[in-house]
Amino acid sequence: MTNPEFPDFDTMTPADFENYLPDFFASGDGHVSTDPRLQTFLKNNPDCAALVRDLETIAEHAKSLFAPAEPSDAVWSNIQSKLKQGQTEEDPR
Amino acid sequence: MDVQGLQMTDTKPAPGLFKRNPPIVGEAEAIEAAKNGDAEAFSKLYALHKRRVYTLCLRMLGNVSEAEDMTQEAFLHLFRKIGSFRGESAFSTWLHRLTVNLVLMHLRKKGLNLVSLEETINPSEEDAPKRDFGSRDLNLTGSVDRVALERAVASLPPGYRMVFVLHDVEGFEHNEIATMLECSTGNSKSQLHKARLKLRELLRQPIPPIVQQGSSLKEAV
Repeated sequence: MTNPEFPDFDTMTPADFENYLPDFFASGDGHVSTDPRLQTFLKNNPDCAALVRDLETIAEHAKSLFAPAEPSDAVWSNIQSKLKQGQTEEDPR
Repeated sequence: MDVQGLQMTDTKPAPGLFKRNPPIVGEAEAIEAAKNGDAEAFSKLYALHKRRVYTLCLRMLGNVSEAEDMTQEAFLHLFRKIGSFRGESAFSTWLHRLTVNLVLMHLRKKGLNLVSLEETINPSEEDAPKRDFGSRDLNLTGSVDRVALERAVASLPPGYRMVFVLHDVEGFEHNEIATMLECSTGNSKSQLHKARLKLRELLRQPIPPIVQQGSSLKEAV
């Protein structure tokens, strides 16, 4: 799967495509659906094209996941308490 | 394990992260004062960065209680190590890396051995994504509900979630993830792909009753 030499794009099977998909995503800008080398293959293999679209959708939406959240006030209270006690120096970490 | 050995000193920031971390007004002064033990300055640094640190912990751990504990640990560690910050990268980038390393150490202590990635980060057969393309009429149709995706990410096996969060959410490159997790870049790519496949599978499943009841991510993890 990590072989940098990609298969022949004209004779590639869906199984080949699946095996090399992580590398296709990792190469270039991560947009497999617009990779010119794969256009013919994706046109001829709609299920593969659908898989690519779904994975790209997930990756795209990931960027906006988990809006910044605020820790509870207890976190700062605990930090202050530990700093006052000088426990940070005793932390085995 | 010495956290200092896990790239806690200034390192060259990833280009994407540096762009996302411009200097904050008053931060430099607060850092210098905090280095000299100024409690008020440290309080200011906490106020400036608590959300970012906590959110990162929450993303990586998927658990509110653990995320708060790790936020506390991160700032206590910051208090001890801030003297080693030399300003060669954005402070937020440095603190971000410090936090990632602490969380990874925490997970290793819990038994998630991220070092031997192939053996230990891989989930069981039951958790692994199915190797099928799926029928086209079940496509995500270019749109995913954010809450559903957050819930799906939270339910990923820890190893999958870690790589997905580091790459797709936090913007780290595969070579950076490989360094942090002490694995190969090929492993990082593979784990990310499996994570996305698993998420696709989860998002295509019928909504479980707990979701229909409107429970929050915090309750689900």
